[in-house]
Amino acid sequence: MTSNNAKRAVGDALTGFERQITQDTVDAYAEASGDHNPIHLDESYASTTQFGTRIAHGMLSLALVTEMLATNFPNTWHNGGKLKVRFSAPVFPGETVVTYGEITAINETDAGLIATCTIGCKKPDGTDAVAGRATVPLE
Amino acid sequence: MATPLISTAEVGHQFGPYDVTIPSARANAYATAVGGDESPDYGDSLAPIMVVAAALTELIEDLGLFSGGLQTVHSGQEVSWVRQVKIGEKVDATGRLAANSIRRGNHFATVAVSYTDSSGTEIGTSSTTIIVSGEAS
Repeated sequence: MTSNNAKRAVGDALTGFERQITQDTVDAYAEASGDHNPIHLDESYASTTQFGTRIAHGMLSLALVTEMLATNFPNTWHNGGKLKVRFSAPVFPGETVVTYGEITAINETDAGLIATCTIGCKKPDGTDAVAGRATVPLE
Repeated sequence: MATPLISTAEVGHQFGPYDVTIPSARANAYATAVGGDESPDYGDSLAPIMVVAAALTELIEDLGLFSGGLQTVHSGQEVSWVRQVKIGEKVDATGRLAANSIRRGNHFATVAVSYTDSSGTEIGTSSTTIIVSGEAS
């Protein structure tokens, strides 16, 4: 909420969440995105790739990160938010990932207060599947 | 096998426009895949990242990245968005190859995309960087 956003401070952690990525999750995401690349859906094909098995869409992991941003900044993330991320590691069906974020700066701009956040999604071993930075209007 | 476009396209190559209108069935599939107890209530709107994903699927196909033998890694993504999009709202995505280089036998390509509504107003942008290996030399 805007009123809550006004109370945000540098160092605040964003409220993240945990999510298990199943093959059903990946199948549903393929339907949503239209991306039916067999590396996500066909185990026999995926076994021939560098990953050796099916992997989740990178954009699925990023979608979870944007869900976190939409939850933490419900009135402003979709109206002026920006992000830049790198995909560091694949997520395999069966793995549970955790989204995270922290406000690292708040700047006064012509467009109002803008928060800069580190954001990402970690795999069970603590490595990043996705990591980067977002900027979000606070008002 | 036809040469994939990623092998021949020059910087500045235009993609689309793609109609990336998201019908309710796909929005529901997105909610199944991504939604959870903590998710916001989008009502009749969409998470903009879903529109970006739909455009990316079209780009991957046009670049020929489903061609046999190619292995593609989605290495980076940028997104900015001005306003939410309604389910079923007409959105067009137009891409431009912003970079395409070969390093150590791998293609590094970046495609910038602009999203416009039915009035032609830009409502978002994205930039996707991919690494492609396995091309015939």
